[in-house]
Formats: sequence, C-alpha cells, structure tokens
Amino acid sequence: MFNLSSIVQKAQQLIDPALTAPTERKPSKSALFRLQFRLPETQNPLQEITAELTLSAQRTTEGTHLIERDRDRARGNRYVGKLHLSEHYMCFSTQASSYLSTASTANSTSFTGQTHGSGPAGNGFTLPLCAIRRVERLHSQNTAFSLAITTSNGFSDHSKQGTTDAPQRLVMQLAGSRQQCDRFCDGLKKGLRAGMRDVENLRKVVGLSYSEYHLADEAAKDGKKELIPTREAPDTGLGSIFRYPGDSRKLRDKAKMRLWKEYMRENGRNATLIRQPTFHKLIRVGLPNRLRGEIWELSSGSFYLRLQNPDLYVQTLSKYSGQESLAIDEIEKDLNRSLPEYPGFQSEEGIGRLRRVLTAYSWTNEDVGYCQAMNIVVAALLIYTSEVQAFYLLSVLCDRLLPGYYSQTMYGTLLDQRVFESLVEKTMPILWDHVQKSDVQLSIVSLPWFLSLYINSMPLVFAFRVLDVFFLEGPKVLFQIGLAILRINGEELLDASDDGAFISVLKDYFSRLEDSAHPKSENPKLRAVTRFQELMVVAFKEFAGITQDTISKQRSAHKEVVLENIENFAKRTSIRNLGPESKKLSLADLGFLYDRFYGVLYDRQQRSQTIQDESERKAKAGKSKAQQLVTGIPAADDVEVGRVALGASTTQMDYDAFREFLVGVARWAVADTQSPSHDLEKQSYFTNSTRSRSISMSPWGAGPDPADDEFIRRLFRKWDVDEYKSLSLQNVVVGFAKVKGARDIMSTIAYFFDLYDDDNDGKVDRDGILKMSEALLFLGRRGFVTSALASPSQTPIQNGASPRLDKNPQRTTSKDEEFLSAVSSFIRRCFEYADADNAHAIQMAKNAAAEESATASSLADFSIGGDEEDDDLVDLTSDSIPLTPTTPRQTSTSPIMSSPSQLMNLPPMPSETKPNTHAANAALDPANPLFITLPTFRMLVLADETLEHFFDTDFVNSFHLADQPVDSTASSSSNLTTFANLGKGFQRPNLGAPALSLPASGGVVPPGKGLRGMLDNIVTDGMRVATEVRRRMEEAQRELDSASTPGGAGSSTHKDDEDDEEDDHRTIDDVNADRRSVREGDRDLLEGLEAAELDGSDAGSVGKVENLMDAGLTSPVRSSRASTSSERTGNGIVEFER
Amino acid sequence: MADAGASPAPKPSSSVKLVLLGEAAVGKSSLVMRFVNNDFQENKEPTIGAAFLTQKCNLPTRTIKFEIWDTAGQERFASLAPMYYRNAQAALVVYDITKSTSLTKAQHWVAELQRQASPGIVIALVGNKLDLASPSSSSADDADGGDGGDEEADEGDARKVPTKTAKAYAEEEGLLFFETSAKTGERVAEVFTAIANAIPETQLKGPRGAAGGQRQEESRVNLGAAKDASAKEGCAC
Ligand SMILES: Nc1nc2c(ncn2[C@@H]2O[C@H](COP(=O)(O)OP(=O)(O)OP(=O)(O)O)[C@@H](O)[C@H]2O)c(=O)[nH]1
Ligand SMILES: [Mg+2]
Repeated sequence: MFNLSSIVQKAQQLIDPALTAPTERKPSKSALFRLQFRLPETQNPLQEITAELTLSAQRTTEGTHLIERDRDRARGNRYVGKLHLSEHYMCFSTQASSYLSTASTANSTSFTGQTHGSGPAGNGFTLPLCAIRRVERLHSQNTAFSLAITTSNGFSDHSKQGTTDAPQRLVMQLAGSRQQCDRFCDGLKKGLRAGMRDVENLRKVVGLSYSEYHLADEAAKDGKKELIPTREAPDTGLGSIFRYPGDSRKLRDKAKMRLWKEYMRENGRNATLIRQPTFHKLIRVGLPNRLRGEIWELSSGSFYLRLQNPDLYVQTLSKYSGQESLAIDEIEKDLNRSLPEYPGFQSEEGIGRLRRVLTAYSWTNEDVGYCQAMNIVVAALLIYTSEVQAFYLLSVLCDRLLPGYYSQTMYGTLLDQRVFESLVEKTMPILWDHVQKSDVQLSIVSLPWFLSLYINSMPLVFAFRVLDVFFLEGPKVLFQIGLAILRINGEELLDASDDGAFISVLKDYFSRLEDSAHPKSENPKLRAVTRFQELMVVAFKEFAGITQDTISKQRSAHKEVVLENIENFAKRTSIRNLGPESKKLSLADLGFLYDRFYGVLYDRQQRSQTIQDESERKAKAGKSKAQQLVTGIPAADDVEVGRVALGASTTQMDYDAFREFLVGVARWAVADTQSPSHDLEKQSYFTNSTRSRSISMSPWGAGPDPADDEFIRRLFRKWDVDEYKSLSLQNVVVGFAKVKGARDIMSTIAYFFDLYDDDNDGKVDRDGILKMSEALLFLGRRGFVTSALASPSQTPIQNGASPRLDKNPQRTTSKDEEFLSAVSSFIRRCFEYADADNAHAIQMAKNAAAEESATASSLADFSIGGDEEDDDLVDLTSDSIPLTPTTPRQTSTSPIMSSPSQLMNLPPMPSETKPNTHAANAALDPANPLFITLPTFRMLVLADETLEHFFDTDFVNSFHLADQPVDSTASSSSNLTTFANLGKGFQRPNLGAPALSLPASGGVVPPGKGLRGMLDNIVTDGMRVATEVRRRMEEAQRELDSASTPGGAGSSTHKDDEDDEEDDHRTIDDVNADRRSVREGDRDLLEGLEAAELDGSDAGSVGKVENLMDAGLTSPVRSSRASTSSERTGNGIVEFER
Repeated sequence: MADAGASPAPKPSSSVKLVLLGEAAVGKSSLVMRFVNNDFQENKEPTIGAAFLTQKCNLPTRTIKFEIWDTAGQERFASLAPMYYRNAQAALVVYDITKSTSLTKAQHWVAELQRQASPGIVIALVGNKLDLASPSSSSADDADGGDGGDEEADEGDARKVPTKTAKAYAEEEGLLFFETSAKTGERVAEVFTAIANAIPETQLKGPRGAAGGQRQEESRVNLGAAKDASAKEGCAC
C-alpha cells in the first residue's frame, strides 16, 4: 500500500521509458558536490574550472625550522584539479568530481573517487568565501590566468598583534578559455562581496577553535607574550577537565600535536585548512586530543553547518527551555547511563552538557527525537568537543552519515545490518555458511557496532581512532572495520557454534586490541604492531574494495525487504495495541483501517509537500535522487516520504484528511460535485508530467473530492475524544468500533442521537432535529449497498453531476424514494412529538409495534396517534399528496431533494413562507423551544420501517471496511493484476465505468488496484489515449513476458482507496514476486560491479581480499599470509607515527 | 572441562532460549546480571540492540542452560525484537513496579509474544525494583489496591503498580508472575527456576551443536555452576 508510489513510478517507466526524465539527473551534481565537500544543503555548484593549485612556501620563510629537505616544499606543491564555486564556498579537489554538466547519476559515482562522493577526498580545500581576504590577478610571465588568494589567516584578531605567521596565500592557475576564466572571476567577485556578511560568523566560529588558539599561543611562547591578551583556552571537551581517555604518552599525543601544528602552519587551519596527503595520514594515525573535535568538525562538514548558523544551538535551547517532550523523558532516563565509567559523566557538568546537546537536537529534529545509543555517541563526542560542536556533529551524523539509524523505526540500522550480512556473505563465504548453519544471529554482535559506532564495543581509545577515519571517509568505514573484525577472528569464529561462543570470541578480541598482533615474532618492529593496528590495516587495505558505492547499491537492493518487514511489524503491533474497544472489529477490518489511515495521511503529506515545493520541484527531486544514489536510502523529501517504515512523523488526521479517509470507506462521503482538475490530471499523467506533478493538481490527489457535510464534521468531533482537532488511528478505530460494533439497532439509534445531542443533556432541539434529517438525507442520497447491490441503482455518479438516486421516474416505489419519504415523515413526526407527553409516546410505541407486523412499503396505510395533524406531510409513496400549508407541493414532486428545508419550510431556512409556517404549525415556532429525547427518537425511528431498516443495517453497512462483499469482483480480481489481462480488461469498457473511483461498492475500491484505476482513466480519457496506452502496455507485456516478471506494477492516479482484503493478498504476492525478481537482478548487477572493480584500480586489493578470505578460512596458510600483508602495511603506519 | 568431568552421573542437560522484553530502564539487564553474575550496577548503560548471556540452572532431574537474550527497551527498538524472540522457548516480560506505564508496555509484549512467538512459549511477568516499595505495600496491603496520590506522600514507597493488579492480569493470561529486585537479588533466582520448571520436558532439546561436545565457552561463562551444584532445586547462582 505504502509503496504504491514506487509501483506507480515503475509502471510509468514501463509505459514510457522517456518519462524517466533526464531533467532529474542534472541536479544530482549539486548533491554530489555537497557530499564531496560536505557542504550544507544551501550550497550549489555555480562555477567550475580546471585549475592548478600552487601552495607557496612563503609562510615558512621566516620560520626557523626550514631545513634542507624542505626545499621542495619551499618551492611549493602543485596540484591539478577542479576548482568549484558555490554560493559561499570555493572548493578545490584533485579528485575529479561528478558534476560536469554532462554527468548523470548513472555514471557519476565513477568520478567521485575514493570516498565515492561521501567525503572530501583527494587534495584540496573547502574555503568559505568569507575567509578569503584578498584575491589578486597575477600577471605572470606567460599568458596564464592566475589568481593569488590570500586567506584571512594571519589577519585574525590576535594575529594583528603579531604572529610569526605570514598571511596564508595560495595561487590558482586557471586552465580555461579567457571567457571561462573571466566568468569564473565574475562569479568569485560576486561571491566575495556576498561573503562579507558572513565574516562575523566566521570570526565567532574561528574564535572558538583550538587550532587558532594553539597557534597564537605558540606565537606567544615565541616571546611576544605581552602582546597577547591572555585568552581562555577554547572548550575542547570534557577531556580537558576530566582527562582524556588513554595514556597520552602511549598515544604520542604531543608528537601528534606537533605534527599537526606544523601542518597547520603551512596549510592553514579550521576554515582555511588545505588538504594535502599528509592530512589524510595524520587522521589515520589518530588525532591528538585537543584537536580531535575540530578536525572531526572539518572532515565531517559539521563545521560548515555551524558556520552557516552559529547560534542555532543556543537559540534552540532557549526557545524550548522549560518545555517537555517524550524525547526529554527518554533522555532523562539515560543520562546516568552514558559512559558511566568516565569521570566526566559522574559529574553534573558532564551530565548537564549531555542533557543539553541531546535535548537541543531532539527539538531540531523531532522525527528522530531521541534514540538510545545517541546518548553513548554524544557522550563520547563530548569528551573531545564543546557542546556546540557536539550538537552540529550529531546533526551530521543523524542526517548524513547514519541515515535512518536513529529514526522512529530505525530502518537505517536494520537496513545496514542486512547490508553488512550480505557483505559478509560475499567476502567471507565460508564464515557466512558457518553462521547460517549454526544459526548464529550475526546482527546481535554487529548491530551495536554500527549503532554506537563501536564506542561501547571497543575500548574508548580505539573507538575514537575509528571515529577519526569515519568522519573523514564516511559510513563505509563502519563496514570495513566490521568485516575486518570478522576476518581477523575468522578461525575462532568458525569454531564457535552458537551465539554465546560467537560473542565471547569477539568480546575477548576487543579486550586485547592493545596487545601485539605478532607477539612471537622475531622482528621487534613487527612485535610492536598492535592488534588494533592490524585491524586498521585489514579494514582499509584488504577491504579497500568496500566503497560508498558498494554500500549504496546494497542498500537499494535490500531496502524493500527491510521496509516491508518493518511495516508489517508496525502494523501488527499498532493494531494489537489499539485497545480493548478495537476488539469489536475483525483483524481484517483493523488492517484495512490501518492501511487506509496511513495511506491517506502519507498521501496528503506527500501532496502538500509537492504543492508547496512546486517551484523548486525539479531541484528537489534531483537532489533526493542523487542523495539516494549516494546513500542508497531515499532522502527525507523523496516521494517515499509516505512509508511507515521510514518513520514519518504524521500520526494524526485532521478534518480534511478525515474526509478524504471516509471517501474510501463510505460512498456518501464522496462530494457531489467534483473539481475539474481531475481531467487535467489524467492528461498530464499520460503526457509529460511525473506523478508528483499530477498529484499537485488536485488538493485531493487522485481520488474523488470528499464531501464536506455537517454529519462528517459531527462524526469527526465525536471521534476526537481528546479534542485535539485531529484523530489518531486509535480514535478512528474506536470510532468505527462504536459504529460497526454496535450490539443492536438500539445502540445505533442511541449513537446517532448522541451525535446531535450537543450538550449531552439527552435532548436534541429543533435545530438538531433538522440537522438529523439533513444527515439522514445526506447518508441516503446514494442509496445503500445492501439494497444497491440488489438493484441497478448503483449507477455511478457522473463527474460533476448532481446526485441522482434514480433517474427512472417510473420506479416510484424505489428504495430511495421510500427513504426520502421516511425522512420526511420523520421530520414531521419529530415536531409532532417534540414535546410529546407520555401518553403520546405510549401510543406511539403501540403503533410502532403494530407497524412492525404490517407489511412494508405502503406508508400511506399507517398513521400515528390518530391526532389532528395526522396526515403525512410528504407522502411520496402515494399519488395523493395532501396539500397542507407546510408542504408546498412542488417540493414533494421531486424525489431528488437533498435538504429537509425543501421538504418543509422550516425556521432556520430563510424563507418568505416562514410566517405562514409558524401560523400553521406551532411546533415550528422558534419562540417555542422544543426538543426530542432519545426515547422519542427511538420510537420515531422504530415507527418507520425504512428508518428502522436504516438504523438496523444500512447505517452500519454504509461504512465499508474489509468486510466489503466482493462477490461480483473477487473472481476476476486476481486476474486483473497482470498486464496480460490488462488488454482483456480494456475490452470491457464497463469496467472503467466507476470513473472517479466512486465505485459501485460504496467507495471501497474495485480490485486490480492501480491497474484498474488506470483502466478507469483510460476509458474516461477516451479512446485516443487508451489506444496509445494499450500499445505501450502490450510492449511492456512483451518485455515482461520475455523477462517472465509478474507485472505487479500498477499505475494509477487512484490511490489507496482500494483496499479490500482480496486486494491486499494479491498485492503482497505481487510485491513478493516483484521483490524476488528484483533481488535476482540486483545480484547480477552486483556481480557485474565486482567484476568491474576487479578490472579497475582496486583490482589488486580486491583480488587479494578474495584470496585471503578463502585461504584464510580453509587453511592455516592464512595467518602467515595475512600477517605478511599487515607487516608490510603495518610498518608503513608505524613508521609514520615516529 | 570442569562440568564435564565433575559429576559422576551427568544429568541430562538442555538449553533453553530465553528472551527479556520490557520498557526501557525497567531493569532487564540488571536482572540478567544478577542471575548470571550475582552482581548489580547502579548506572547500567542502556542495552543497544540486544545482549547475549548464558547461565545454567540445576534442577533435581536435569540441568537447563539458559541462553539469555536481553533486548533494548526503548519503543523504537521494538521492531528489532522479532529477530531476538524468534524460537525463544521462554520469555521474561519485565515492568517496573514504580512506573505504571511499564506494565502497559509489558502487556503489549505479552500480546505480541502470544501471537508471534513460538507456540507454547513460557512467559513470566516480572515486576522489578521491589526494593523501592515499602515491604508492607507489596503483598500485605494490596487489598486496598489504591495507587492514588497518597503513595507519593509515603517516602519509603514508590510503588505505583499494585501487586494485585499485575497478578490478576498474569493469571488471566496464564503467565508466571513474580516481583523481584535486581538490586537486592530478592526472588531473582526463583524466576529463572520457575521458568526452568515450567518448560515442558518435551520441548527440551539437547544443547545446540551437540556433536561438538563440551565447548570451552560454557565453562567460562558459567561461573557459578560448579559451586552451587549442590543446590537442590535452585538455579546455580
Ligand atoms: N532500585 C532499583 N533499581 C534498579 C533495579 N533494577 C535495575 N535498576 C536500575 O534501573 C536502571 C535501568 O536498569 P537496566 O537493567 O539497565 O534496565 P534495562 O531494562 O536493561 O534498560 P534498557 O536496556 O534501556 O532496556 C539502572 O539504573 C539500574 O540501576 C532494582 O531492582 N531496584
Ligand atoms: Mg538493558
């Protein structure tokens, strides 16, 4: 149900492959651009040009430590790459990127380099324009177009007072035509001017960065102390108060700090940092304590978020201060349970920080709110970062790096578990076999790894090393590390035959990460390699083939299954938890209501978003498309927003949504006049528009417009027991349970009466009586299914036509007329007995009893009470219509009146006959208050066979849940889902008759789901379109036949108003079939991919992975081989650390 | 291989998969820790996903090895639960007697298990944190059943769920019922013993992968087994 949109899209592609709009591809470059440089959503690639970056060496010219071997460096490093300009950034990377105007999402990933678009790969920079102080055009010896860029480094507050640092300067030589260069420069100029506004933000953010402080501090030590105002060290996390984890000597923290200082002196810091190969290496060996937070910010891009809105954290906290939420309760529960061994979290200081960061985030992203594990992650971050830094890091984590992990349904977590399992299967088939055979639940070990980023699995010091790389290189790191852990422990895991053994092998491994990986080695260097270093080597060398691209593809491959599992679980659970009242409805009914409820909500959500975003639609669609490409998970604003499993936030239905909801439940809920947009819509559907576009055409989407009637409003109010002005699923279910689960006619009558008893005093006044009658007419204006099924009066209502109960004038005693007449008598009697005494009532009851035994339709035969005003006001069943003053004849001649005011001229209706009326009937005198009570009402109803029948069955049955009779349609329905039958269906034009899904069966939709809907459209739209579509269908069919794929692809402008049980079953089958085939296909693709990569640059390492794996798990050769490889690379790392 | 060689006539031993479910912070992990390690930790980190532990329970005629799956309690982790209760033979559904919402949540879990878990699963309803209730309030005066405001006033008693309420519910659903304190250890072992006894003989299978014989891990994880082997009808802890 919920993936209808994707089915529709699929179908669309079948119908017209050209519809996979090429326009959607172009914007993907923006997304890839942002992902590559980790920029905020606001940035778009405006300009790009090939360029050569020359890093001048002048910054160290007066440095005392310039030694001979730095000569090269002194002459400067040169890099060729692409220079990009966005609104607020100038970015450069040696890794070619994907957003050439010719790039499409299909081939772009091959351009995004090592991190596949997920991180700042390669060498280069991400320079905020506001950090550029000066740009000069260099007139060099040749004709080259060169720009010298001076950054604000060396000009910031404290450096004014003098540092050893000269301003940072880089030279960009643009390689392009004169015109291109000029254009780029114009753009740059404009950007620079705009960037002036952000200088204040930059100062704020940079002022809090440790690198800035540190370098200035060093300057002070160089002897200019008196010039530097003593500045407080910026907050570098709880560690600066409660000590950083680990032994800083063992971690070689000082040495690392020195290396970083040197690096930053030459390559800028924070906003102006330039990435050279050393940058990546420095991160791989582990960050020094005090710089860790800052580098995390830069490599994850949370720095740029902060730069964009530096006060968001403080503002959020103050805006919501004092407010309560579920998330806050949950956070409170876990505050003392977050890294409780770390001293910082045994203090109020640490707890306070944790509380504020988690709370602030829960407010900025209420869909996520708070999820256990976030407490552990944030606690860990807070050891190295300030609150503000942790806040933005958390945003980047939740939104970009761990999509869907902490959401309401945690679909991201579940999905990545599946992905991880499939990677294990691919890379370590023997281990995977073992895991399967011994029924070990792999995710029991791996889920916490991913969810808390190894923080509570590994000793903290090592977990932070993983985080260092993770922030730079993205989510694939989590997979690489996980695979490496299993690989390294492969042999022991093969001996473990149940979950317990499996877990203890790994626990044991984690506790010995610090040990030597080769304790018995002769080679001291080799002996010095720790098991953690070995892990890193295995992860990043042996599993180098695991890229962001791999992950994305795997995610797409498994997405459907995972989402469906979640949805089934959610549905089951929420149905079960609807409370005792819900037991009155069958499980099938509850399932139906659940689907319909969320179907409508999500549909609406999506529609309103589409309408809202119409202007930026293309950009949006493109963005999410690209996002999905990169992460494998639909972006939040993708069409798939309407899925329970994605944790959508809407759970409440407002009045309009309720109306739409009812359309699928009761035929009286469909409006009599339909908005004309439907026609347009259908055209656009088949021409050039995407589905989302067509949705936006009508506020009601593809379904018929819902009626807006007093009765619906009252129903809504009644069901809204909490007076939230919206209904939860529970409200709706309880509402239906009350109606459908009514024990007998008496309770239904009472229920109806209550709807109109506004003040709950057991009395319904004159106005109420009129409204009741109006409601009866409203409900009855289309007849009822029980009778309708038997009679041909199911004729659907034509588009825009007024309702006709029966067009056939001869059929004077039709059920519809009976009903009309019954209502008219009802009104009359209401007023008659309004303040009736007991005697009346008793007599009435007697009459009513007598009436019950009397034979039906001859209303004229029976009279009530025998009082003076005993004639029926309107008697449609007899030809002799009494002419009484209160019943103008003309109204009684037409059976299609829909208002009691037409039956009688009644007080609330502005009418010139009013005085007349009053004179004639004291009961109608507004000055004469009157009311009926429930007993009276009951008697009035029971006195009339039609009304009695109405309350006995028709009313209840007018709500169609899953119990919808499907006799006429069931047999054919199962055939309707395939394209093969589509043609057949088409040849039966009558199938298409209920055009606007105002189905004969009372709004519960015809079978065949989308396909039927499509047929409907075809027919309604006329033969031209139909023929065209049929042609395409047949083509599609041929394709499908050859691929032997069951065509579950329904497509329709109709949506979820088609949910009978039969349908459900079939849909699931289809989806299953669909899914199965998709997975087969994907697997092939993946194999293709792997093959491709083997040919590519990673071939070596991938090949090695395969070899080692099989060797490793089958023979003892493995350990020696593995150690050789780690020896080699391990040395590299060790050496570097010196 | 202590437990392999120790007893001259080894009792039949079988493993039972047991899952713990219940709202966040009701003390599931603490109960397990008490049962397995006879230990209690004031600020226990929330369980992420699930944790797995094993412990043996010696009955007069047989030994039961519990494979305990301790799950995360937060609502949104619920969708992970089926993964863990799959094939479980026993379940401990835990609530916190000082928090009435936790009983509601427990009832949801019971319903879920009854419909979705293996048929015949033995379910125990456990009200934890008994130490926070004043002794008198537990079973003595549950007759008044009033969980009204006056309990706030009573310093020593934070109980919000009367024993009677929960017990009635448990009886209705055919669940084992206990009130425990993981903190003091009160009645914790009894819960597991009762479950062990309630598992029908026919349901029991040998330890998984029986062909593999004794596994190292058993002797390591199962710290308490040997020392309490004499216990007549209690679990080894
Ligand atoms: N007073 C008291 N506190 C307890 C008891 N059992 C657990 N606690 C405390 O309750 C808190 C939560 O305990 P956990 O065992 O982590 O709860 P849990 O049910 O495993 O929680 P999740 O893993 O989040 O689902 C901890 O702070 C425990 O110290 C008890 O019997 N008495
Ligand atoms: Mg726990």
